[in-house]
Formats: sequence, C-alpha cells, structure tokens
Amino acid sequence: MIVETIIVFPLFLKRRDESAMTTSPFLTMNNIEKAFNGVPVLKKVSLTVAEGEIHALLGENGAGKSTLMNILGGVHQPDNGSIHINGQDVKMSNPRLSQEQGVSFIHQELNVVADLRVYENMFLGSELRNKVGFLKVEEMCRQTNEILVKLGVDINPKEYVRNLETSYKQLIEISKALLHKSKLIIMDEPTTSLAEHEVKRLFELMRNLKKSGVSFIYISHKLKEIKEVCDTYTVLRDGELVGTGSIENENLDTITKLMVGKSISQERFVQNHSFGPVVLEVKNLSSQGLYKNVNFTLRKGEILGFTGLAGDGRTELFESLFGYRKKYTGEIKIKNQLVKIDHPRKAVRAGLGLVPKDRKENAIIKDLSVIHNMSLSSIGHFEKSGFIQDRQEREKFYYYKDKLNIKVHNPRITIDKLSGGNQQKVIIAKWLEVDTDIIIFDNPTQGIDVGAKQEIYQQIVSLAEQGKAVIILSSEAPEVQKICHHIYVMYQGEITARFKGEQATEDEIMSYATGSKREADKIG
Amino acid sequence: MQLAQKGRPIKLANVNTIKQPNQETSNTKSRLSWLWSEYSVIIAFLVIFIAAAVMNPRFLDMNNQLNILMQVSIIGIVALGMTVVMLSGGIDLSVGSVLVLVGVITVLALNATGSILVAILTALVVGSFAGFLNGLMVAKGRIASFIATLGMMAAARSIALYIAEGGSISGEVSSFTAIANSDLWIFDFPVIIFFAMTALVYILMHKTRFGRYVYALGSNEKAALLSAIRVDRVKMGVYTLVGLLVSVAAIIETSRLNSISSSSSGVQYELDAIAAVIIGGTRMTGGRGKIMGTFFGVLILGILNNMMNLMNVSPHLQGFVKGLIIIIAVVFQKRE
Repeated sequence: MIVETIIVFPLFLKRRDESAMTTSPFLTMNNIEKAFNGVPVLKKVSLTVAEGEIHALLGENGAGKSTLMNILGGVHQPDNGSIHINGQDVKMSNPRLSQEQGVSFIHQELNVVADLRVYENMFLGSELRNKVGFLKVEEMCRQTNEILVKLGVDINPKEYVRNLETSYKQLIEISKALLHKSKLIIMDEPTTSLAEHEVKRLFELMRNLKKSGVSFIYISHKLKEIKEVCDTYTVLRDGELVGTGSIENENLDTITKLMVGKSISQERFVQNHSFGPVVLEVKNLSSQGLYKNVNFTLRKGEILGFTGLAGDGRTELFESLFGYRKKYTGEIKIKNQLVKIDHPRKAVRAGLGLVPKDRKENAIIKDLSVIHNMSLSSIGHFEKSGFIQDRQEREKFYYYKDKLNIKVHNPRITIDKLSGGNQQKVIIAKWLEVDTDIIIFDNPTQGIDVGAKQEIYQQIVSLAEQGKAVIILSSEAPEVQKICHHIYVMYQGEITARFKGEQATEDEIMSYATGSKREADKIG
Repeated sequence: MQLAQKGRPIKLANVNTIKQPNQETSNTKSRLSWLWSEYSVIIAFLVIFIAAAVMNPRFLDMNNQLNILMQVSIIGIVALGMTVVMLSGGIDLSVGSVLVLVGVITVLALNATGSILVAILTALVVGSFAGFLNGLMVAKGRIASFIATLGMMAAARSIALYIAEGGSISGEVSSFTAIANSDLWIFDFPVIIFFAMTALVYILMHKTRFGRYVYALGSNEKAALLSAIRVDRVKMGVYTLVGLLVSVAAIIETSRLNSISSSSSGVQYELDAIAAVIIGGTRMTGGRGKIMGTFFGVLILGILNNMMNLMNVSPHLQGFVKGLIIIIAVVFQKRE
C-alpha cells in the first residue's frame, strides 16, 4: 500500500552501481576478535555485506551478535581484526565516525524522544540553524516531510512522537538513518513490539530501500521473518562464526541447528491430560477502555494461552488480576473464593504469580545481584529471626541454577549483566520459589534465543504436569499453539474465540485476532 | 551491590587463567578498575587523610582526631538516614528543621517533667512522627519527595521558631548534658552513638528484608511492586527511619550545649548530609550506594573542615572548598 512512491529514492541516495554490487561488498569485517575482562566474546569473526543486501545476523543470546554490531557501530573497539567499507580500511573509534561512514544502528529499544516532535527527533543532534543560531524549523519540517512521503508514511512532522504507534517510532529511526544518508542500517530485533500489519509495512519498506542500494543487517530470533525478508545470513555461536551463506539454499531447520548446535523440535510440547478442579474463575471482568466482559476458567494442571495483536487488552486484563490495576468490575474467584485484589501482594496471597512482559522495565531489578533478584519475592524463606541468611539464599539459587540451567559464573554480579534468556530464567526461579498455584507468564520468551525458549517451554509444561495452573500471554500464535491446552484469542479487549490447543491453526487464530472473524462463544 | 563489595575477583581470575593464559594484562587492569569502583571512597579518604597529615603536623594529634569524630557525629547520624532515603530514590530536605523542632520539644518535655527518659522518648516520638508524615505524603499522597520534604522543612522550622519565640531554650535538668558530654575510654559518647548507628543501619540495609526492599524500590519501583513488595509501606518506613535518626541527632545536639536555638541550629544540615552521601558514592536516583560509603564521606567532610580550621582558612571560603570537593567526587564516580 505504501510502496508506489518509494521508487524515487535515488533523489537522496546514491544510485546503486550494478556491477559493484557483485564485485565489491559494501562492508567487510575481517577476523574480528574481542574479549571483555579476559573472557573472549568474539573469536576471529568475519562478516560481509554487499550493497543492497539484507543480511541476517543470527545466534542465540550471548553468541556475540551485539558485540559485533557494537564494534561496527563504534561503541566498542575490536582487539584484533579490520573493518572495510567500500574497500577502504576504516577505524570506527566512536559512534559518530561510524555514522559518518554510512552505518546506522537501530536498537531494540528505540532511541526516540517521546516528548519531542517528529522533525525534532529526526534532526536531534544535527539541527539546522540559521546564521544567528536559531533553528530553521520550516526547513527541517520540509526535509522530514520529504522523507516521510517517500516512505509512504502519513505523519505530520510536527506531531509529538509520544502520540504515535510503536511501528511509526521505528519508521522515524529509519527515516533518520536515511536523512544521514546511511548506506547500511543495522536493525536489532525490530519486530518484537510490532503487530502483524506493522511488520509487513516494515518489510516492504526494507525491500524498497534495498532496491536503491541500502544494505541491512537484520538481527532477529524469528526465523520465519528472516526467511521472508533476508538474502543472506551469518550464524554466530559462542563468539564463533559457524555458518554463512544465502538464505534461499537453506531450510530453517539447518539454520536453527547451526544456532543451537542441536536440532529443535517444532512439535507440540504439551500433552493432553486430565485437569483438576477449577482454580480460577473470571466472570464479566471489564475495565473502561481496556477490556470488557471477559469470562474464563482455569483448572489445576491446565495451560491457557491468551493471544492477540498489540493493544488487545490481555496484558491489562492480567495486570488487573494481579492487583496492579485497581479499577475493574466483575468477579474473580480463586478456588471458589470471591477475591478482591488491589495489590500484587494480595494476588500472591491468593495464589497468583506473574512473570511480567518487558523484563527490563517490569521484572528485573538491575542493581540487585542475580541471587537477590531470585529471592526478592520470597525473602521470608531465607530469614532466621529477621535476618537474611546469605548461605541459604545462595544454596537455593544454585538449586534453581541447575534446575533451570541458568548460565552465570558468579551469581553476585548484578542481573543486568546476564543475557535475556538467563535473566528470564532467574525471574521464573523467583516465582517458583514463591510457589503460587497459578502462574501467569506474559510474553515469556520476549527477546530470548531459540535454545532458551525451548527450555522455558519445557519448564512451563512441567509446571502444569506438577499440578500448577498456568496462563501464557503471547503475541506469537505458534508459541501458544505449542504449549497451551486451550487458547483464547482477544481483539480490542474482548475474547473473540476459544480453541483447543491442538486444533488451532495459525491462520484461524489470526483471523480472530484481527477482528475479521468474531464468535464470542466459540468453544473448540 | 552490597554483595559485590565482598565480591571475589579471584574466582573470575581462576577461570580466566585456565582458559586464556595470555589475558594477564587485561585481567590486572580489570581488577584495578574493580578495586577503584568498589573502594573509591576509601581511597579518596586515605589520600585526603595523608595529604592532611603532611600539610599540618597537628592534624595527626590524637585529640585532634577525636575532635574530628566528635564534630562529624551529628551530621553523620543524619547522613545515615539520608543514605537510606536516597537509596530508595527519594530525598529528605527536612532533616535540619525537624532536628530543631525535635530539640525544642525535647527541652520543653525535659523542663516540664524533669525526666531524661521522658525527654528522650519525646524526642524519638516527635522525630519519627515527622518522618512518618513525610512518608505518608510521599507514599500515599504521591507527592515528589523533594516537594513533600521541602514543605516539611518550612513547616517544622516555623513551629520551632513559634514555640521558642524565635530564640533559644535551655534545659533545666543539668544531668541531661551528660548524654553528649561523657566519654567511654577515649571516645566521646556522640562518637560511640554514631558508630553504633552506622553498624545498626548497615545491618538493617544488608541483612534484613527492609534493606533489600529499599534497594529494589530505588532501582526499579514498578518491578518491586510487581514482585509483591508493599512499596508504600517500605517508603513510609524509610522516612520514619530518617525521622528517628534525626531525633537521635537532635538529642545529642541539644544535650551538648544544654540548649537549642530555634533560628540557628540545624541550618543547612540537609546539605551537609546530602554532600556526605554523594561523596560516599550513593546514586542520586537510588538503588545503588553503600552505608560504609556514607561513613567515609562524612569523615572526608570532617577532615576538610578540620584542615581548613587548622590552616586558618577564612570561614567564608570554607563553603567554596566543600563545594569543590563534592563536585570532584561526583566527577570521579561518573567514570564507572
């Protein structure tokens, strides 16, 4: 829909030289080595990206992708190795130099300032000024508009960024890269917070930019997307280059195997078994503008999935259940007891646990150590006459470390030093230690690599087998298909369908999630 | 954080030497930077201490040393409380005014009853209550701590001035002065109380769940709440604790001279306390910092004051030097 206008790109981008594309790559990184505190994280890694190529950079968390990209972006300096751009040896000693070489880095957490306007974000740090030093607002708006029009995006340059959808924020970052005449755009997990149609829009945009000679390095854990949009790939594992080539010739399983070093099953994890009594019953739960008339029951040993697009209200629904949001109407019964939950503490007392989404904002306490994050919600278990017993706490941590396969050398370091997957395992350990009957997982595998994902799925399934009742919230339909007994689909705050886990197809889930089908009392 | 303090670089080193014998240099470097980041306050303290000893031989005199400790003990106790508030992500500007108010009411209670015990209990109750009110405003009223305690700062001072009619009031029970003017072995009582309070607050912050919750709250309040921590209660506890520590400081201040001035006592105590906390390496936004850092921060400020007095630096210039040191301290800590 956006695309027609984009062909005009050469206006502000150098035209692609057809012959150069095959003969000289835009970027070559040769034998890059890097160690932190003596621990090697990159071992002689090389990477080549041609002009107008979308190159997937793959690997589990901690494989060295971010370090490699930070070296390219001028954030870190390599211990060894060289970087060539257009055949020229370059030193990226700071992010600014890297940008001048035509490299832009769009991070997973978008670097847009919500309280500034669109054009102010675009020109942040490189504002146009007249001779007196005042800002040339109209000129900046004009240039911003020019780029936005070319991208087929209908935003007013003077709009405040806080009023925009997430995907538009991403587009602003891309526009900014184009404004700086970037030739290579690095995108780190760009689709994690995007809804389906936004992902489509992003891919179309990438393909069109590609035609005008812009290259991409695309970091993602979603292999389907990579197959869809990328031309070539490089896989890193434990800081080493384990594979590179053209996407077309590979199937996804081979790549997955390269990433984790073993093959991963795509089958359903969860076995159907008989459930115990109802532990949670929700009746006519509504909250103004967030969700309405939600009804469901959860039984002991059951895994319920809730899926839908961004903005479907599922997160808010379960934040209410967990006492984080207080304003709602309707009934919540836990083990046949009517409960009024207005604080997470009461939720825990009633038997609810929540592993929230957006780990960094909602789950981890980054200044506390790994051990202290694990014990935060159950400190009482480690107290003796009011004093915390460090040793018991530590021993408990090592118990979970083994059980959940948490990879950490020294659990006294702060939790922000761990990879996403390991952080999530610590948060899961925290809730296992609280030992509630019902555990809610909101986007449990957000930003987590394939290997750790499987481990987390296995943990969730075994929790249910041990008699816990589990709720999974996820925007990824395949995820709930894989591990849930029953799936609820939500659209704009309402439940639009209920499926049996093994009967749900991704297409059907999508048609209910997008509102194209509605069948409020469909019982699969 | 608090565990990193006892951290084990050795363990890391072992792992490295097995894997990568050629990483010696970067290892030493990382160990040095670890040492610096963990102990920068103590290193700064030693540097200033040695510099002071070299610049003026009278500095090392035992009486002078004990004198410094005596002089910092009141601010030191207040700064301990300030550390806890700042770790929780807040600030308490009312400490100086509350100290005066507590002092005034304590003297009144002392003179009315003649009982030292009643005077002390009154002090503790009044201080804690003022702190509790701060906590209530911050936690339940959702008022920014800066604003809430700014209000308390103005109000408490005003009440103190009103009660004492703008002047000083003196105690009529002479044995009350024994609290701040006795000594045990070579140490004055206030110094012992300061040390004891340091130890108590240290234990509270590192060995009890209250301390853990304060760090969690200061680092990420939303995550703390979603971890089922009663964030509001912890906040109220934090401000009440400051009030309690302030009242201990107020008892010492009042007992030392057997009187308190409603207009000039406790002035700028909040700034000195905040300065000590900042020099001690606690982060303004909360979640990171140490009680022992504040302890040495207090000592650093004390040594500076003492040096300037010994060297006859004009009292009008002393604030300048103090300001400079605070800024340098923060600049150095930024380097992490």
